[in-house]
Amino acid sequence: MFISKSMTSKVITTRPGATLLEARELLKTHKIRHLPVIGDDKRLLGIITDRDIRSALPAAFYRDDCPDPAGADYTQLTVGDVMTPDPTAISPQDTIEDALLQIQKMRVGAFPVVDDDGFLKGIISVRDLLRAFINVLGIEEPGTLLGILVEEKVGQLKKIVDAITEENISCGSILVSRHWEKDMRAVFAYLLTNSVSRVKRKLTDLGFELLDPMEWAMDRLPQHD
Amino acid sequence: MKRTGLLYDERFLKHLTGANHPEVPERLTAIYKGIRDRGLLEHLQVIPAQAAPRMWIETVHDRDYVARFEAACRNGDSSFESPDNQMCADTFDVALLAVGGILEIADRIVNGELDNAFCAVRPPGHHAEKAKAMGFCYFNNVAVAATYLQTQWLIERVAIIDFDVHHGNGTQAIFEDDPTVFYYSIHEHPSFAYPGTGRAFEAGVQRGTGFTCNTTVLPGQGDDFYREAVEKELGPAMTRFRPQVIIVSTGFDAHVDDDMADVALSTAGYAWMMEEIIRLGDRIADGKLISVLEGGYCLERLPELAADHVQALLQI
Repeated sequence: MFISKSMTSKVITTRPGATLLEARELLKTHKIRHLPVIGDDKRLLGIITDRDIRSALPAAFYRDDCPDPAGADYTQLTVGDVMTPDPTAISPQDTIEDALLQIQKMRVGAFPVVDDDGFLKGIISVRDLLRAFINVLGIEEPGTLLGILVEEKVGQLKKIVDAITEENISCGSILVSRHWEKDMRAVFAYLLTNSVSRVKRKLTDLGFELLDPMEWAMDRLPQHD
Repeated sequence: MKRTGLLYDERFLKHLTGANHPEVPERLTAIYKGIRDRGLLEHLQVIPAQAAPRMWIETVHDRDYVARFEAACRNGDSSFESPDNQMCADTFDVALLAVGGILEIADRIVNGELDNAFCAVRPPGHHAEKAKAMGFCYFNNVAVAATYLQTQWLIERVAIIDFDVHHGNGTQAIFEDDPTVFYYSIHEHPSFAYPGTGRAFEAGVQRGTGFTCNTTVLPGQGDDFYREAVEKELGPAMTRFRPQVIIVSTGFDAHVDDDMADVALSTAGYAWMMEEIIRLGDRIADGKLISVLEGGYCLERLPELAADHVQALLQI
């Protein structure tokens, strides 16, 4: 899962000499929040966000489409004045996992994607990552989610998959997650079927405990940071 | 007492789904038995099915799709488009009978011969999309009925109320851009139940925005939640929309004893909900109401649920 395959390649960009108003217009027109800033040679110089622009302009100005003369100075502000220069970028050869961890760590909404020579290749935003995960989870296909609590030992998943296979059911996705109980795992199988009663009984008969969805709480998982 | 029709036909039992499938002919026999044993048959006009003309099916479904389904059936395929959709050589004909029977009922309700009716049909329909069979469903029975009412009888506004525990993705998709058919569904939250659609933010598209309404029920929720949803969501929505006919997608699988899902509606909760829908229909739609069976798989509970349902329709 490489960034090059998940990023937005047709990037809307701006130049350092563009005014903030022009940049604001671009963001608005394309319904985006991040604009990479490039030089004449197409190399990445910086990034500017809707938040940067909002902070740079007084609130009254921002609300008003036709600013009063007192706001005139602000119209002279350029992207170069406000952008974050040399932003953290990510490579097309990095992976989605790299981007996820980086985005969480740096608390940003998007990374410009830049090749080894410094040329802008695309942008990867939280939105792109969400799309990738919706794909991976398969939740846009019709199906039913089963949560199964298992002891953490080799061979558990095989038993589960065998039981599902015996019922002639295909899996949209299977996710194995940590669980708050020691030495336990939670297996989330997204089954592409409407008929889950029999497979549920079968799993229970095999000694597995079905997770009560109302009891499942991400917050109870041990946190890393 | 109302003049209530019952669409029931033993040919509906000929749609066979093979071993280990929950959507079995015994569902219908259990439903019929429940109605009969409570002594309700004598009050009902029992109406047999007749095959729907293709042209009415094709007002909703693509011609190619209908042809593919027929070919698969005649070919002796044991399933169609998904292992969920188990079938036999008779399935196509039975599916035509189900739709045709409902259209016959629709005629009798519009021309005043009947006030309302329960259509105990198989196969069910609300998952079937324009060109896709899904979740045991081949033809979208209620969608064809709504379109028929509008085309043949020039009814302007039809409401479809779907309380099957699963979201009727097919019905929603067919009418989501249509402001003349209001689709209301209450079902188990799509993160926990098939088919994974019907989220609360799905409210119709384009001209149909505001004419789809989804209420999601969390696992374990039951009567109290349904009561609140019917009073605060469904009631006001119907009052605003003013349907001239109400079609109900009746699924009995939200019952606490039905293991197809995790919602905990009681038998009494079901009865209350249906009575409330009938009161709404009396107030808004001149009582014109067609109930069409969708899911419901607990053979032990189906007799009482069906009998209560029909008793509510009869108002006795």
